[in-house]
This record gives sequence, structure tokens and C-alpha cells, in this order.
Amino acid sequence: MKKFLTSALVRGLLWQAIGWLLGALFVTGIRFLMGMNPFDQFFFTEPAWVFGALVGAISFVAGTGAMSDWFKWAKGEETPEHREDPPGWEKYLNVSLDHKVIGIQYTVTALILMCIGGVFAMIFRTELAHSGLQILTLQEYNTFMSLHGIVMIVGILVGVAGVMNYLVPMMIGADDMSFPRLNAFSFWVVPPAAILLLSTLALGGFDTGWTGYPPLSARAPVGMQMFFMGVAVAGWSSILGGLNLIATVLRMRTKGMTAFRMPIFIWAAIATSIITLTATQLIGLAFQMVMFQRLLGMGFFDPAKGGNPILFQHLFWFYSHPAVYVFVLPGLGLISELMPVFVRKPLFGYRFVAMSSLGIALVGFLVWAHHMFTSGMNEYLRVPFMYSTLLVAVPTGVKFFSWVATLWKGKVETPTPMLFVVGGIVVFLLGGLSGPPNATVATDLHLHDTYWIVGHFHDTMFGGYVFPFFAAIYYWFPKATGKRMNETLGKIHFWLMTPAFLTLTLLMMRVGLLGMRRRVADYDPALGFDNYHLIMTIAGYLIAISIAIFLYNLYMSLKHGETATGNVWNSRSPEWQVPSPMPVHNYDIPFEVVGEPYDYGLPGSVYVRFADGGQSTKH
Amino acid sequence: MEHSNKTEVFRQGMIIFIFLAVLTALEFFVAVAVGAVVLLAIIAVVKVALVMYYYMHIYKLNTKDEQLDRHSYEYKLNTRRLGLWLFLLSDTFVFGGLFVSRFNLLGLTRPDLNQLLGLTVTSVLLLSSFFMNRAEASMEHGDRKGFIIGIVATLILGVGFLAGVLGVEWPNAIRAGVTPSASAAGAIFFMMTGMHAFHVLTGVIFLSIVLRNGSRGIYSPEKHWGVEAAAIYWHFVDVVWIFFYPALYLIGKLI
Repeated sequence: MKKFLTSALVRGLLWQAIGWLLGALFVTGIRFLMGMNPFDQFFFTEPAWVFGALVGAISFVAGTGAMSDWFKWAKGEETPEHREDPPGWEKYLNVSLDHKVIGIQYTVTALILMCIGGVFAMIFRTELAHSGLQILTLQEYNTFMSLHGIVMIVGILVGVAGVMNYLVPMMIGADDMSFPRLNAFSFWVVPPAAILLLSTLALGGFDTGWTGYPPLSARAPVGMQMFFMGVAVAGWSSILGGLNLIATVLRMRTKGMTAFRMPIFIWAAIATSIITLTATQLIGLAFQMVMFQRLLGMGFFDPAKGGNPILFQHLFWFYSHPAVYVFVLPGLGLISELMPVFVRKPLFGYRFVAMSSLGIALVGFLVWAHHMFTSGMNEYLRVPFMYSTLLVAVPTGVKFFSWVATLWKGKVETPTPMLFVVGGIVVFLLGGLSGPPNATVATDLHLHDTYWIVGHFHDTMFGGYVFPFFAAIYYWFPKATGKRMNETLGKIHFWLMTPAFLTLTLLMMRVGLLGMRRRVADYDPALGFDNYHLIMTIAGYLIAISIAIFLYNLYMSLKHGETATGNVWNSRSPEWQVPSPMPVHNYDIPFEVVGEPYDYGLPGSVYVRFADGGQSTKH
Repeated sequence: MEHSNKTEVFRQGMIIFIFLAVLTALEFFVAVAVGAVVLLAIIAVVKVALVMYYYMHIYKLNTKDEQLDRHSYEYKLNTRRLGLWLFLLSDTFVFGGLFVSRFNLLGLTRPDLNQLLGLTVTSVLLLSSFFMNRAEASMEHGDRKGFIIGIVATLILGVGFLAGVLGVEWPNAIRAGVTPSASAAGAIFFMMTGMHAFHVLTGVIFLSIVLRNGSRGIYSPEKHWGVEAAAIYWHFVDVVWIFFYPALYLIGKLI
């Protein structure tokens, strides 16, 4: 308990609370001196809350000590390159520079955030089970719906960072990331961001959905500002994480690991990082502009002052469309990474799969306005954006072709990770096939803002990241802990979640086609959606139960799991050639890449050779 | 470039500065006499290319170092350079977003601003880049006194730029009716200059730290990444202004 109370996390939370209070008091004091109204509906005024939130977020990171080495450098002091972590669980609550610890910190944070987001979904899903308002007010419904969106998005972003942080240095044979302190910093800005997002609940909520479009967002309660601030802070995690990852892959690869001999997941991680590094700035900018519009009356998006609300949508979607590729690319990379292991065959068309990740990322920069076909933007923009969007199907199709060809005539084994891989492909296929109707202007005018879009989006997110994320956790759990997760519980998790999820999203598409609007708290019973919604709510609860089983499995396997220190899955990847759990600085004996990564089943082929003669010849 | 002697490097910095100054004057003349946006864009791109190559030394990213030991200072130095440039690339998207927003909101019109003041602060920032380059070159050749003089000159000019924008230009604009809340034109003017000034301010803080550490003798001709990073960052802030200056002051008809 004492170790918990003295941990960096608790210290940071304390500092954040103090910083927040002092910042708010500072502005309140100034307002008082200037004769302005010092207090408001939520005790402090909006500028006080905002300034306090900013000071609080910075205080959190300073309080954890994630920046102390930089302060020392600024003072001209040298610091040791590495810092030893204490053994045991408390290193996960303190600032560590080890990419594996940070990766696990990210992953656990992601699971927590996704559970919170899931609880929000269950709350408003319960409300929707029957027409009429039963348990929530309209404002509460909107807040839960909006928070579900943004908490899940941040959760998945953090999950992506977790998997990339844990795997990338290990897969390329590096002892850590290029900039370990920056890596720690990138993680430690996430908790204050999460707190900012959740604080919206106490400050009147916000009712815009996660998109935060003005003019509504320019008028919503103070909670809106906390949402903007939370996203901006979380954005820094994403930007700096992407920077670190690109530098790591470019500079830290082991000998012989040329571009086309990297594990395929690395290509996906690079493609993702290019997006997070650059595009994320635009959502931060767009949100800042609304914040200033609210605080100082700057009329960027206010037509009465010559502003343009459509501009916000352009800036917002310039990030937020590529953002879905940030989620999906690592997921699809994981699928391509794991599939050859379980079908014991080479990955079909490695180079094309690698290039398709980059292709999706780059085309992804040119498609943003397909979210705006009904927004009133210039009509001549619609057709080019329609075609550029349909173009995304080409590199995505390359990936599907590769998976099918890899499966073809393979010796398929189906332990839990492989189940999630195949499930992910099926669900993502549904999400992919329901995409082009939204990309096509003529049909989108009907489908825009209906439950069809909600169904499409959840299919792409689950297939594109959530299923592969579970696959990755089941697959690399032995690497991280030296224990194996329970197969039976894993299979129950899969076979409960998948049918329930498919029912949910297919019904979403069904009611969407029939005219059910998204983001509404209620619907007319005369439309006849009541039964559909009841089934969807039941399916939602089944998913929640399956997640509970997963969490139970995680806990029990950690405590009493079957010991597994060897090459559990018979993989060729370098990290499985050394005993689990991984040593602190990864490889005690360096290795060299001497062959192709995915030549499963080819007799005599070698991928990596260790300096002491050990090699990966598993096939 | 590393092997050339100090006078040569100084002379090169001077020549580039003269080029930049002439181009700035030309830019102003073009705006007043012709008003051709394409010409202004070309001049800005040429200026940025000169700064990026000769002051920011972007070619150093291409250093071949596969043979070096991964834990050597040299290898890590190149990794740090890459990291800084990636950060600048990311930051470019903030300024790019503002730049695009300006054209979305204002099209080919511009707010009525004090032209003389605009040209003055632009020249001050340009001159600071010249001294920054000189300070870095001095450090590279072990001339600590030259380094300190260069940094101090850069700092004074940087603070002068901030004073010019925040202390003179902003009150002037507000008096002339260009306020943050009056119109979208005022809003975007304050947002662009404000975001840029914020970066200048961080640059000033960064330079002060480098000045303090440098005067205590922490840097050497071989190891002075802090100085190099501060210089690259400072020139980047200049690069941003090279685009912002014509976008705010020169392009388009008066509103």
C-alpha cells in the first residue's frame, strides 16, 4: 500500500489536482481584481477552468518525474543513459524508461479506458432498448454517447501505442526506443488527458459527439472545453510516440535487417506513425481554435464575424479520417504478422503487403472530405473525394488477397490468437464492404448520419483493431509474463463476443437503412425499431460479459497460469528465440538477420542468427 | 563544410544573409508594385530553401554512418538530428493549418496593418538568424567569445521581435479595429502571430539555457548538440515567418 501511495501515478494525480486548483484560483483572482465576475455556474468561470486544466496537466507530468532528466540537462547536468527499475509490480506505476514496461503501461491504460468507454456504451444502450426516455435525460444521453466515442478513440490510440512500444524494439533487435525519456513522457501525458476527458461529466457534459462541430461546440457547457483540452493533451502522446517510433525503426535496426526483411508489423507501425506525427497537429489546432473562439470571442467559425464553420470540419477531418487508419493499420499488421505462424506457410506477397500499409496511410491523407458530403461545402469537391476514398479499397484489397492466399492450403491451427485473427478478418470485411456505399456521393446522401454509419464504423474498428488487439494480447502474453493464458476461457471469450458483435452491428446497419438517425436518445415507436434495439442491447450486454471473462482470464492467468517460457507458438520472430519473460535490455546476445521473415514450412530457411550460433529454423 | 575554416564559414553565412535581405526587399517591392501572388510564393520558397540548406544544414540528415558504433556520440547525434527534424515536420502541420485557414477565411484580401512595422520585425528576425548562424559556426570552431556574442545578439533581436509584435503591432492593430473578437480576419491575424510568437518565446528560453550552459563551458567543438538544436529550431521559427509575413502583410487587397 505504501508503495502504491508513493508511486509516480499517485504523485502525479496529487500534483494535477493542486495545479488545477492553483491555475483556476490564479485566473479567478485576476478576474476579481479586474472587476469581472469571478464565479459562475460550475463555481469557477470557464477561463479559470481551462487555465487550471492546462496547469494541472503539466503539473501531473512534472509531478511524476517524467521530465526531471530534461530539467537536469537544461541545468547542464549529465544523467545516466539507463535507469534500473525496481523489481515487482511497482515499476508499472512509476516512471520507467524501459520500452517493455512502457508498452505494458500503455496496454493496461488502454484496457482501462476501453472498459470505461464500454460502460458508457452500456448505459446509453440500455436507454435505447425501448423507445421513450427511461433512465437518462437528453443532456446525459448526449454526454455518455460523446464520451463513449472519445474515450474509446483515445483508448484505442493508447492501445496502438502499447502494442507498438512493446513489440517494435524487440522485433528489430534494438535494446530500447531511440528516445527513452520522450517515450516515458509520451505515456505519462495520457493519464491527465484521460482525467480531463472524464472531468467533462462533472462540468455539464458536452453534447456534440466526439466530433465537436461548431456552432454547437461553441455554445455547449464548460465540459466541452475539458474535452478539447483532453484531446489536445492526448494528441501530444500520439505525436511524440510516432516521432520516437519512426526514429527507432530508421536508426536502431539490427544488422542485416533491410527494409524488406523487417517483420511486416514494423511496416504497419511506420505507416501509422507517419499519420500520428503529422496529421494529429490539425485536430489539436482545430480544437484550440474553438477554445479561443469560446474564451476570447475569436470568430474563426462564426459566420456572423465572417468565419466559416466548414473550415473546422476540414481541419478536424484532415486528422480524424487518417486517425481511423492509425487504429486499423497496426491491427491489420498484426493479422499479417500472426497468420503465417498459425498456417505454417510464408506470408503471401510480403512486399505488396508492406507497400499497401504505406499506400493506405498516404491515400488516407486525401480522403477527408467524404465526411462532409452533406455539409454544404463546395459541390465540386465531392466527386474527387469520392474517387480518392474508393481508391483506399485497392491497397486494402491487397491485404485481403494476401490473407486469403496465405490461408490457402495451409495447415491451419486455431488456438485463441488465431481465432481472433480470423474473426478480425471477417468483421473487418463487413466493415470494408459497408464502406463504399458511404463513399459514394449518391448513396451517402441517404446514409449520412444514420445507424448504417455506426454499424460500418464499429465493424471497421473491431475488425481493424479490437480483434487483432485481443489476438496480440493472447499471443504475446507469455512473452511478457512467462505464463500462458487459459485457452478454454479464451475460446469462450471469442465465441461469445463474435456472434453478439455481428448481431449488434448488422442490426445497426438494418435500422440505419430504415432511417434510424445516429446520436439521438429516442425514436418513434411507430417506426417499429423497438425489437431491433432490444436485441442490440442484449447483444451489447453479451459483449460486456465476454470482456469480463477476458479480464478474469487475464487476472487468473497472471496468478496461476501455466508456465510458458519457450517458443510457445513455434514462431520465427527473434523475440521468441530467447526465453520469456524478456530480459531488461532485450537481447543479451545480439542477432543478425540472414533470411526472409516468413518462410514458414520451407526446410532449412533461417531468419535470424544469434552471435553465439543460435538461429531460428522453426518450420 | 565541417573542414572549412572559420572565415570561410562566416563569409558564407554573410553571403546568404545578403541574399535573404535582397530577396526580402524584392518581395516588398513586388507586393507594392505588382502584387503577383505567384511571384511572392516563389520568393518565399527560395528564401526558405536557402535557410534550410545553409543555416539549418538539412543535408546533415544524409550523413552516412552505418559503420559507426551504435553507442557512439556521433551515431546518437545523427539520431537526435533526425528526431528534431521529425518534430519540425510535425510542427509544420500546425503552421500549415493556420496558413490554409487564413486563405480559407480571407481569400485574397488582407487586414490593414502597419507596413513599416511588418518590414521592421521581419528584418529583425532575419538578422537574428544571421547571428544565430554565426554563433553556431563560432562554437564549431572553438571560438567561445564569438559564440557568446552571437547568442546574445540573437537573444536581443529575438526579444526585440517579440516586443515589436506583441508590444507594438498588437496594440496598433487593436487601435485600427483589427481585434481578436471583431472579425474572422482579426482572429486569424492574432492566432497566426500569437502561435508564432509562442514559438519565438520558447526559442528565446531555449537560447537562454544554451547561453548559460555555453558560458559555463559545457559545449565543445565536437559536442554541442544543444547549440545545434537551438540553432535549427531558431531558424525554423524564421522559416515560418518567411511564409507568414507575406501571407499577413503583402498578399491580397486591403479589406
